[in-house]
Amino acid sequence: MRIGSSESEPSLEAERRLEQLIDRTLADLPLRRAPSTLEARVFDEIERRAALPWWRQGFGCWPQIARAVFLAACAALCAAAILAGAWALGRIGRAGEMLTDSWVRGLLTLEGAARETAGSLARIVPLEWVYEGLILSAVLYACLFGVSAAAYRMLYLKSELAGRS
Amino acid sequence: MGLNEPNTVHTPPTEHRSIEFATFMRAYQDMVFSTAARLTGNDAQAQDIAQEVFVRAYENFEHLRESAAAGGWLKTVATNLSLNHLTRYRRRWRLFSEEPSVPDVPLPDTLLADLSREEQCALVDDAIARLPDHQRVPLVLYHFEDLSYQEIAARLRISIAKVKTDIQRARAALAGLLERRGISSAALVEPLP
Repeated sequence: MRIGSSESEPSLEAERRLEQLIDRTLADLPLRRAPSTLEARVFDEIERRAALPWWRQGFGCWPQIARAVFLAACAALCAAAILAGAWALGRIGRAGEMLTDSWVRGLLTLEGAARETAGSLARIVPLEWVYEGLILSAVLYACLFGVSAAAYRMLYLKSELAGRS
Repeated sequence: MGLNEPNTVHTPPTEHRSIEFATFMRAYQDMVFSTAARLTGNDAQAQDIAQEVFVRAYENFEHLRESAAAGGWLKTVATNLSLNHLTRYRRRWRLFSEEPSVPDVPLPDTLLADLSREEQCALVDDAIARLPDHQRVPLVLYHFEDLSYQEIAARLRISIAKVKTDIQRARAALAGLLERRGISSAALVEPLP
C-alpha cells in the first residue's frame, strides 16, 4: 500500500487506516516536559513587569488622576484638531477665491505639456520596445523573487529546522 | 471580572502568592509547553509562548486559582498565542514554505525499532516538529486539540478542503518520517509497560 503517491491516490480505506494509526499514536504520546528554567523565567518576567513605572504599564494600571488628565488632554487635543481643521479649511477657501489666474493657468500649461510629451513618446517608441521592456521588467522581478526565496530557504528555514532539532 | 477579561495589573509577587503560583504552574507547565511546542515546532519559541501564558495566568491568578476551568483557559491561551505567533511571522513566507508533496512511502505494518518507548515518543515529537507549518498546525489542532475540520478552517482562515488535504498529507508525511527512522506507528500504540 502506498501513501502520498501522486499517481495512485490512496484509497479511502487506506486513508482511514492511516488516520486511526496516527490518531492512536498521537493520543498515547505523553506531554513534553517543560524546561526546568521556565519557572524562573516566568517569575523574572513578572518581577520585571511589576517594576515598570506606571506610565509604561497598561492604561488600566495608571493612577486615576493620571487617567483623568490623559482623557481630558485627549479630548482637548481632539477639539483643537477639529477647530484647527475648520480654521484651515476657511483659510483655504478664502485663498482659493483670491487665487490669481496665473497659478491656474501655469498648472494647466504644465499638465498639457506633460500629456503632449507622453503622446509624442507613444508615437515615436515602437510597440515592440514597450513589450520588450515589460518582459524584461517581469524577468528581473522574477529573478529577484527567486533570489529572495532561495535566500529565505537557505538562511532562515535552515536555522528554523536547526532550532527544531 | 471573568476569565476572558484581561487583567493587566502587574502585582509584585509576594512570598505566599509566589509559592501558590509556583505550585499552580508546576501542575500545568508541561501541558502548556507541549501545546506550544507541538504547534510551533520550535522549543525556543514554545518557551517564550509558555512564559507569556503564565505571566497572563499570574495576572488572572485570583480567578484561576479557584477555577476548575484553569487548564482549559491555559490551553486556549497557549493555542491562541502559538497561532498568533505563527500567523504573524509566517504569513508572508507561506508561499516560500510550501514543500513538495510527500514522497512515496510504504505504510508501516508492525515494524518495531530497537528503541525504548520514551525514545520512540521523543522521535515522534521530533517528526511532528519537522513537518512544515501548513501541515503540522492543522494536524496538531485535529489530533491533540480535538478541533473539527470546520473549527480548524475557521481558526486558520483557510478552506475546509485545504484543511483536510493538509492533514492527510501531514499524516502520510509523519508515517514516512517515522518509517525512515525505523519506527512504525503501529509499534507506538502499544501500551507502556
